[in-house]
Amino acid sequence: MDDLSGSTRRGFLKLSAAGAAGATIGAGWRPRTASAKPEKITFIRESSYVKEFDEHFNKVLIPRYQQETGIKISYEIVAAGGTAHVRNVAIVESKAPVDAGWVQQEWLYREGLLDISDIAEAVGKEQGGYYPAITELSKWNGKWYSVPFGNIGQCMAFRRDWFEQAGFKKFPDTWDEFLDAGRKLKKAGHPYGMSMGHGFADNNSWLLPLLWSHGGQVVAKDGKTITLDSAETAKAVDYVRTLYKEACIDDCVGWLDPANNKAFLTDQISCTNNAMSILISAKRDLPEMGKVIDHGLNPKGPKGRFHSLVAVTHGIFKHTPDPEAARHFLRWLMAPKQVADWYRSAQMYHAPYLRGYDKDPEWNKEPRFKPYHELLETAKLVSWPAPADRRAGEVVSKWVVVDMFAKAATGTPTKTVIAEAVAGLKAIYG
Amino acid sequence: MLAPPPFRLREWLERESVFSWLLLTPPLLFLIAFLGYPFCYGFYLTFVSRPIAQPATFVGLGNFEKLWNDPIFWKAVRNTIEFTGIATVLKLAGGLGMALVLHQNFRMKGITRAVLLLPFIVPTVLSTVAWQWIFDPGMGLFNRSLINMGLVTKAQAPSWLGNPTLAMVSVILVNTWRGLPFFGITILAGLQTIPVELHETATIDGATTWGRFRHITLPLLMPVILIVTTFSIIITFFDFQLVYVLTGGGPANATHLMATYAYSISMGGGQLGLGSAAALAMVPVLGGVLILMSSYVRRT
Repeated sequence: MDDLSGSTRRGFLKLSAAGAAGATIGAGWRPRTASAKPEKITFIRESSYVKEFDEHFNKVLIPRYQQETGIKISYEIVAAGGTAHVRNVAIVESKAPVDAGWVQQEWLYREGLLDISDIAEAVGKEQGGYYPAITELSKWNGKWYSVPFGNIGQCMAFRRDWFEQAGFKKFPDTWDEFLDAGRKLKKAGHPYGMSMGHGFADNNSWLLPLLWSHGGQVVAKDGKTITLDSAETAKAVDYVRTLYKEACIDDCVGWLDPANNKAFLTDQISCTNNAMSILISAKRDLPEMGKVIDHGLNPKGPKGRFHSLVAVTHGIFKHTPDPEAARHFLRWLMAPKQVADWYRSAQMYHAPYLRGYDKDPEWNKEPRFKPYHELLETAKLVSWPAPADRRAGEVVSKWVVVDMFAKAATGTPTKTVIAEAVAGLKAIYG
Repeated sequence: MLAPPPFRLREWLERESVFSWLLLTPPLLFLIAFLGYPFCYGFYLTFVSRPIAQPATFVGLGNFEKLWNDPIFWKAVRNTIEFTGIATVLKLAGGLGMALVLHQNFRMKGITRAVLLLPFIVPTVLSTVAWQWIFDPGMGLFNRSLINMGLVTKAQAPSWLGNPTLAMVSVILVNTWRGLPFFGITILAGLQTIPVELHETATIDGATTWGRFRHITLPLLMPVILIVTTFSIIITFFDFQLVYVLTGGGPANATHLMATYAYSISMGGGQLGLGSAAALAMVPVLGGVLILMSSYVRRT
């Protein structure tokens, strides 16, 4: 080792030490004390399909807050599509330097969130109160762990021109009429595309309402009794099998969430269950198609009409070094002066859970968006009627109910798919 | 009695035993921090019930017992074995063929070799999104080609990701496409080490092309093939991105692998202990394969 002189070795060691120190400083560690005003607050959110929504936050809300308080807001955007909760789980577990945000699937990590009852109650009182269904998510054991913001509504997006050609002047009101229309449309070369794959929202948003509207339920209100195995569930399963075979495009049984948007916008399907994003994209990029797209509520079943909530709520991570600073920001953000225009910037893509916006003039600008407001009256959490706890989240994340329908659609007998789903539920609920 | 020489830091650092440890320590610490610690922590998690943001409760082998009785887990195990087995065989056969072709002399050989590496170089998520478009039922490359060639009508066009069997075929196809260059280039490197004289001698002795391949090329390539196959089994067994992006494990769990299922239990279901147990369950299977392969390599 004569070629390595002593000085070279010492130089190497010095370089290593300097490198290690540099890495520590550059790692983004942010010391703070609760007594000092923070330089910035980090707010995390899934990016919106409506780009104006994020733009409004960046260009209007952030500068306004900085001007009023001197505190900078760092807006951390996670890719859309139901993946924000994974990031949030990592934030909670690693106590990463993120203060607040959209607490997607908060049932997984409520214990990692701050009690913000004072903010949630003040915001509700100030702006007409909340739709009751959402409080079952945000309020847990008498305390609020999130402030309800808005619902990414899910209802039926359909091609009005093709439905009219098939003889349907208005969107089918019952599931039977929906099947009848689907048969005719598929024969005309315009099948439905009803998602049944391992996505996040577009599958549950019609399968659960369909189950509920037939009288079926997954787990009872007590959060213990598995109630899925019933004649009502069997009817819903049989219906989906027929609908898939006679009215749907084959591919939809494996679709992830972006797939139905793609199929709809490329003329492959005549109807799907989705958020406003199809119409918004069409109006922007395919104006001719944008003129013939419309929305309808989920059809009714023997037990009524249902929708499922895709909840957007904001919360504060318990590990934030400045709880008071984060509280101040969230209260400020949800005040009418800020939140009203933020809702409007996205054309009510997030339908407000606050009753005070029921008559907001923004709803009149595009009448085709109104079903997304109306559905709030009949919308339930995906756990309904069971409590929205971690186990309910596991049912969704393991696609237990979605797969029950998907297996039936691809030929497995009704009894078998229900028995397999019940076995899956027992593994979760014990 | 002689007094011990005074301690000099410079001389102490000059000693081989000290300096070698100084060099070894940073990578060792790195490995402990980013591999050793997560593995040990994961191992610990398998014995506890650990919902997110909640304290752990010791459950012994309870998590493994739960998995043992979980039909989705067993479906994922079967899928993983099928996925790994078929994809590895296809990659091996294709890679061997690719290497034999690339070993020939032809124009633009260098560029061709570079281009064939692309599937391996392009980020998996990016190429998988492209495959999603290729598999599209209405406007994807496959179905458009089948319809344009008159082999199927639009109504008969297969649903690549919607049919449970075809969905598995599709993920295997994409994995094979992505992993083929790894086999091809590595086996090509092995081919280039085989002395030309052996082939010349065999040709003079009247050996046919097949005979030379069977008795010279293949035996001399065997160590390379075994090593590349072992690596491929490990990578394929742990594959996550491809299935996560292409099918999410659907339809109806038809393509759920152990890695995607472990992820859905941990990050979707919030059960870190159970998810870790599902992930750790991959280790004994892989360990068995590795022991078998390495003992074969030693014998040959």
